[in-house]
Amino acid sequence: MTATATTPGPRRARIPGRKAVLPWLFLAPGLLLALVFKFLPMGKGVWLSFFDVRPFLGDQWVGLDNYTRVLTDHRFQDAIGHTLLLGIGMSLGGIVAGFVLALLLEGQARSLKIIRTAVFLPVVTATAVVGEMWRLMYYPTSDGLINSGLGLLGLGPVPYLDNPDTALWATMAMGIWMLAPYNMVIILAGLAGVDRSLYEAAAMDGVSLWQRLRHITLPAIRPALGIVLTLAAIRGLRVFTEVYVLTGGGPAGSTDVWMTRAYTLGFTRNDIGGASAASVVLLCVTLLLTVTVNYLRKRGDVR
Amino acid sequence: MRDRRRCIDMRLRRLAAALAVSGLLFGTAACGSGSGSARAGDPNTLEVWTRSDPESAQTYQRVFAAFTKKTGIKIDYQPVMNFDQQLQSRASTKDLPDVMINDTALMGSYQAQGLLKPVTPDSIAGHDEITAKSWSSTVGLDGRHYGIPYSRQAMTLFVRKDWREKLGLPQPKTWQDTLALAKAFATRDPDGDGKKDTYGMVVPGSAQNGYVAWWGSSWLWQGGVRILQKEGTGYRPAMDSAAALRTVSWMKKNLFCGDSGVIQPSALTSVTANTTNFQDGNAGMYLTGPYNISTFDKALGKDTYEVLPAPTGPAGNNDVLADGENIYFGAKTGKAKQEQTLAAFLVSPEGQELAMTGDHQPVVRIPVNSTLDAAKVREDPRWSVVQKAYEDDSQQFPNAPDWAPMKQDTADALNAIFTYCGSDVRSGLKELNDTLAGDLKDQDLLK
Repeated sequence: MTATATTPGPRRARIPGRKAVLPWLFLAPGLLLALVFKFLPMGKGVWLSFFDVRPFLGDQWVGLDNYTRVLTDHRFQDAIGHTLLLGIGMSLGGIVAGFVLALLLEGQARSLKIIRTAVFLPVVTATAVVGEMWRLMYYPTSDGLINSGLGLLGLGPVPYLDNPDTALWATMAMGIWMLAPYNMVIILAGLAGVDRSLYEAAAMDGVSLWQRLRHITLPAIRPALGIVLTLAAIRGLRVFTEVYVLTGGGPAGSTDVWMTRAYTLGFTRNDIGGASAASVVLLCVTLLLTVTVNYLRKRGDVR
Repeated sequence: MRDRRRCIDMRLRRLAAALAVSGLLFGTAACGSGSGSARAGDPNTLEVWTRSDPESAQTYQRVFAAFTKKTGIKIDYQPVMNFDQQLQSRASTKDLPDVMINDTALMGSYQAQGLLKPVTPDSIAGHDEITAKSWSSTVGLDGRHYGIPYSRQAMTLFVRKDWREKLGLPQPKTWQDTLALAKAFATRDPDGDGKKDTYGMVVPGSAQNGYVAWWGSSWLWQGGVRILQKEGTGYRPAMDSAAALRTVSWMKKNLFCGDSGVIQPSALTSVTANTTNFQDGNAGMYLTGPYNISTFDKALGKDTYEVLPAPTGPAGNNDVLADGENIYFGAKTGKAKQEQTLAAFLVSPEGQELAMTGDHQPVVRIPVNSTLDAAKVREDPRWSVVQKAYEDDSQQFPNAPDWAPMKQDTADALNAIFTYCGSDVRSGLKELNDTLAGDLKDQDLLK
């Protein structure tokens, strides 16, 4: 289409012009929905972040005060650290675990299909349900599933969620459990495209498993990894439900992330202006991260 | 070939047009189905919101059906689970429900945002049947009323009677008795299964939504602590007092960092919804609201547990947290007459009795109508313990200031103090006091 659009000549230019309208018509319903339900509220959110929001008494313009307040609040500063740790840990953990799962479950056998479906279940389960389930698994006495397992080994019990030193890691483990199967599916699709003859050639050359992974598998699934990384960058920082359901940000704020702080500010403290400012900051950082990951991915592809 | 292409082109264009139109329609429908529904303009229909789960919503539905039958005024009833979130989003469109029924302690917060219409008690038929104590909890900072009391409750101590009698221990009257009983429940195998799988007391100790401040406030009052002290037209934070230091230190040492088993594991991240140890039959005590009575009756059986007044603390009182729900009128709706008629019905003996009985969870706990006796209406003497606790031994969160941020800050601080067993309570409370002072200053109320 780009080629025809640049072709000179009045007659030929007119047809592509009409054709150019067509995709927009197809897109119109989606765009309209996005405009009403996404972009207008988003714009309103950005607008509100500059106000002390009091709908019935009149909003008061406060300029960048909300931003200053949010960025200098030590609870938000702590939350940045937790968010980054959790976002990066869950993303990387999810990718590594997804990759391992994909390698283990690649193939055509019927039994593998069943196992793959079972492994994929966390993705289709509501996060709130998963959170409640993991709360039970993490139960801090020997009655808890994980602690009873540890008990068999003569260890524990460990108060996973009630100890501020372990709560964030416990949340991360749950996040990885939820994310890995999703990544697995994308990586499996990538693995399906790997040229089998390369493996056979490698086997004849007698290369090690690691060398095979390093020089054949990983380069071949680079596009799939690119997609997985982009998705991770988008959702890594906006982690909310996992934390809200599992720990509520506690104990002692040790699992508070950016979104749980923003939620508390908006809906417990009724500070909509401050919550909007916090959300706008998160939007900007996520946008920056996504663009960077995409840029690096494209540069990698070109190379 | 050309004809075929044109044909496909036309078909595509038609499809695109259809898609675009349907998209537009869907968009318009989506816009139209929001707040400004057709019934909102009908003067004879009131939109009413309550913070209710489906179970208690059924009781409300029965009450509203009786009201419509009696007055002809229709009710567009919306039970809302995530009330605060939904209300804020409706407030942002400046289109509030006509009538809302929600927590007393949120009144200051709503008033600070200008969401409420002031109420003249005289305009509500039967206003004189509501006690002065209940009416006093709806006075705003400017001295005007911003709500009508609807339901009240006070915390009481729920104790596993069968366990206590099996261990041969008396009903707890003081903090020391309570602690001793809790330890006995945790260590002396009250359920007789030969395993150490019971706990003394249930604590919803998470800071999420301010739970630990909600549960802990009764203990604070019994220890002689005030979170805020009223001073003239303003307030002063009082969490740096000697009483606060003594009380919070006691709670930390004995409940949270003491012998294991006095409180249930995972208390520090528990909210009431996932604190089910009492009804699950593995914890022996729970200081909580009477709305749990129906749940506990179903789960444990009436005879297995008893409802007792809270134990007396070092300050010599057994005060507990009283809270409840008020009826609020949304700002700028212009249906004053109908709203007042509804409020009068809801606080009348008929309206209150309907809301206290029935097969589903009752939505009025202690009636605000002083002509009614909770125990008589329900034919259950346990309710007189709750009613007495509310009338004689209860404190309420300050309702006039915007209490929501202060409750959250108190909860954050207490949760942190109880989490880090080695931390210094004095500096934790000092920091809380400074934060509360900041909150009061934000509201121009600091004295």
